[in-house]
Amino acid sequence: MERVISIGGRLQRLLEEAEEEARRRIEEARGRAETLLEEARREAEERLERAKRGVGVDDILRREEEAAKKEAERRMREYRRRVREVERRAKENFEEAVSLVLKEVLPLG
Amino acid sequence: MAEETLELEARLIERVVERREAILKEAEEEAERILREAEEEARRIGEEAEREILNLLSSDLKALRDRIVGAGELEGRRLLMEAREKAVSTVFQEVERRMREIAEGRDESVDYDAVLSHLILEGVEAIGGGDIIIQANERDLERIRRMLKEVRREAERRVEEVNLKLDGKPIEAMGGVILRSVDGSKIYYNTLEGRLARVRRRLEGRVAEVLGVI
Repeated sequence: MERVISIGGRLQRLLEEAEEEARRRIEEARGRAETLLEEARREAEERLERAKRGVGVDDILRREEEAAKKEAERRMREYRRRVREVERRAKENFEEAVSLVLKEVLPLG
Repeated sequence: MAEETLELEARLIERVVERREAILKEAEEEAERILREAEEEARRIGEEAEREILNLLSSDLKALRDRIVGAGELEGRRLLMEAREKAVSTVFQEVERRMREIAEGRDESVDYDAVLSHLILEGVEAIGGGDIIIQANERDLERIRRMLKEVRREAERRVEEVNLKLDGKPIEAMGGVILRSVDGSKIYYNTLEGRLARVRRRLEGRVAEVLGVI
């Protein structure tokens, strides 16, 4: 029975060590989290300050430029589609339009 | 007895090991949660900064966008306008080509003598009678000479006093006539190209409608 009690003491320490280790890991995570947030805040603040001076905004301008180019291309595609539609309709109604003008130009009573 | 003790020890050790693993696992999960939340917060901070910067640059970005998209829009409108103008112009070019065929007598479906007669009579009515001189190109002068008697008769029926004469000097025209009073005070241009130009000014919009391009 003494032996069991002795082992019980060692196992209790083992549990205490585990709890200590658990606390350490959580503390370490909190520390890393705090560092991560400080870094994020510092970086955000720096970016904002630089942006106020017009520095470090090239990537934003480039992104906007790319987006604008895509929009311009999209609109051009739409206009080209409308041009094709105009050409198709003009071809389809060509004779009717020619007849209309001819009737107006030639006085045939 | 010893066997029971050993079994007790073994169960105790097993429970403690399980508990130890559970403690460490919980700690690991908690640590992961803390870091995950921190990463999310860091991303949110970054996004917020990005929004503030975008806000700060909004007028520059708008100008950039307007310049690029505006240029594309302008070019697109130009292409569309050109396509519409080309469609309408093609109609008038075709009309001119057919008028030339008619005037040259190559289109038998149209009685060009009747056309000429109408052109002259229209001019006579516009001038209102009196001594009127008719000008035309060489080919049409010849046609008019052949039918002048008949045209005179019809003209006299329409206006009280009229005396039609041909100017023997041909004009440069696709076809049709120019009529003028002898004293030159009244001139009526009724050439085919003149009529076409007038009709074009008047009917371009209608032609575009018929074509279905507006």
